Amino acid sequence: MTQEVVTDKPKRAGYFCIYTPIELITAAGATPIRLFKGGDADTVSSGEVHTRSSFCQFAQHSVGAFREGDPLYTSIDKIYHFNTCDQMKKAVEAIGEFFDVPYQMLCLPREKSRESSRAFMRREVEVFRNDVEGLTGNLVTDERLSEEIVKHNRARLWLKKISELRKRDEPPISGGEFLELVKAFYYLPVEKNLEQFEHFFRHLSAQEDTGERPLRIMISGGIIADGDNRLVDLLEKELGARIVVEDHCTGLRPFYYPISEDKTPLDALSDGYLDTAPCARMKPLTERLDFSEKLAQEYRVDAIVYVSLKFCSCYSISLNSFVKRFQGVGIPVLDISADYSESDLGQLRTRVGAFFELIKKGEKSASTKAA
Amino acid sequence: MSKKFIGLDIGSRGAKGILLVDGEIHTAIRPTGFNMQETGDALIDELLQKSGIKKSEITHIVGTGYGRVILNFGDIPYGDVTEISCHAKGAHYLHPNVRTIVDIGGQDSKAIKVDPTTGKVTDFVLNDKCAAGTGKFLEMIATSIGLTVEELGEISLQSTKTVKVTSQCVVFAESEVISLKAQDESQADIAAAVHLSVARRVGNLLSRVGIESDVVFTGGVSKNKGMRRALEEVTKANFVELSLDAQFAGALGAAVYASELATASHKVTKIHKERDLFASLRQDLGNIKEAA
Repeated sequence: MTQEVVTDKPKRAGYFCIYTPIELITAAGATPIRLFKGGDADTVSSGEVHTRSSFCQFAQHSVGAFREGDPLYTSIDKIYHFNTCDQMKKAVEAIGEFFDVPYQMLCLPREKSRESSRAFMRREVEVFRNDVEGLTGNLVTDERLSEEIVKHNRARLWLKKISELRKRDEPPISGGEFLELVKAFYYLPVEKNLEQFEHFFRHLSAQEDTGERPLRIMISGGIIADGDNRLVDLLEKELGARIVVEDHCTGLRPFYYPISEDKTPLDALSDGYLDTAPCARMKPLTERLDFSEKLAQEYRVDAIVYVSLKFCSCYSISLNSFVKRFQGVGIPVLDISADYSESDLGQLRTRVGAFFELIKKGEKSASTKAA
Repeated sequence: MSKKFIGLDIGSRGAKGILLVDGEIHTAIRPTGFNMQETGDALIDELLQKSGIKKSEITHIVGTGYGRVILNFGDIPYGDVTEISCHAKGAHYLHPNVRTIVDIGGQDSKAIKVDPTTGKVTDFVLNDKCAAGTGKFLEMIATSIGLTVEELGEISLQSTKTVKVTSQCVVFAESEVISLKAQDESQADIAAAVHLSVARRVGNLLSRVGIESDVVFTGGVSKNKGMRRALEEVTKANFVELSLDAQFAGALGAAVYASELATASHKVTKIHKERDLFASLRQDLGNIKEAA
């Protein structure tokens, strides 16, 4: 299905998880769009028509957005899914089945350090390249791919540098604002972002530090979808804390490590994406915990809010080891089991409020859990 | 002149008020109703009437419970503290040796660990957002077997036979209860089974923070004798009796906080203002998401 004619409108390649090497999409001349909207209860119930209630609400929301004809989602020409968790894999199959959206499944190994995993990932990345070439009709040369790797690395580095401004006592950018820059990375062309991010960095780094030190929070856990603002707003706008770093896939985490610019481009992508700061579905779990701890120390956080969506097996099962690890280093953890319903804001406020009251009293080693 | 402090606990079902004057405690209680501000005002009026104190004499008010964030009392300084801290504070005030609190209210249940030297919370667990293990659950089941919630507790003490309600979900538990009714089980046995089912649920919460004596049972459901017995049976703990009706523990804690002026540092500074810097980015994002 190679297309010869170059149309005005580039093809749009949609993806859900950050393990998708988007450099291959742009190198083939298509536009990558990360599909990570969430937070709307009506869209969730629409998606539940084709899933089951035991799916996490991000998966249901993703299906629901197609069912409701979301303009961004329905503009997607093909979905590429490097499978991370089973729920999202099945959600993609449902989208393909019920809404006739073409999709390509790709396998992401779990044991990332194994030699066989590396070789396998390398072959999947090749399958991915061949498929996007088919989608756009453009060949992906090593040269083009290297250019894209450099550009995306620069964009990642800007975000990392902007994030690092939050290491100051008084961060010049809130967690909510940082998430907007993350959205830009996933929705807007990289060239435009390079310009914007630099502009943001200049402005923000020039901002005066008045030395006020708010309560410093790290958010950790599963996805905080675009549109799922409740918790971030509650923490920052209502309770006056600051999210200084995110250990999740829609915050700083995916921008932490660059892709190698020294290897051949396909090797670099295959290794680089496998070695990105890990999601809880990867093995061994200790690597994830090590990374979380490193972030928490680096950003000098006072406390951690650990969020997992209901029915997310990856992030709910790893919670225990997570809490234990941070009990060991004396950083309190509040665990929140979330969904996109709007009815429980009162309870959320009480939970977080009581947690803050507890921390302010200097109970450093305490941890709290939601049932 | 002695200082006078008010604590208000605007819960999901019941609103409680405490006036604290030189260690003397006045209480007021009423259903929460729809307008929480009106409820708060009415509680204060009642407290003032009971004590013969004038409104202008009140030094500080602290609110807690679901309604805490929207209250405002004009000239009287007001702050809010979560009900978790307040229950701990209130229980500690009445019984300084308390280390574990189980609180069952209309809409949630909590297990709280308290530091007996300070009365401050060291750990807590809340129930999931689900009515199982709450007062609301008991209320619904009582209705389905033709009793009030007060009668449900009383009658359960007369149970002679163990029957089981196993479902964790209110709706399914209700149908389980209806089946038991159809099997001609007695109201007393069904009531005992229902309490035991709630107790197991709350017992799980308690075991997550760990049960350490002394244990105090607070919240509206603490008045229910059947619940108390079931919970003691499940947790093997003995609840300490407080000198004040334990459903006032939260309001009392709030009044104690008011006296400590703990809320002085609790003011939220608005750190978040809309910035021009983000305007064009937001527009770009809006464009791509809407006009795809």
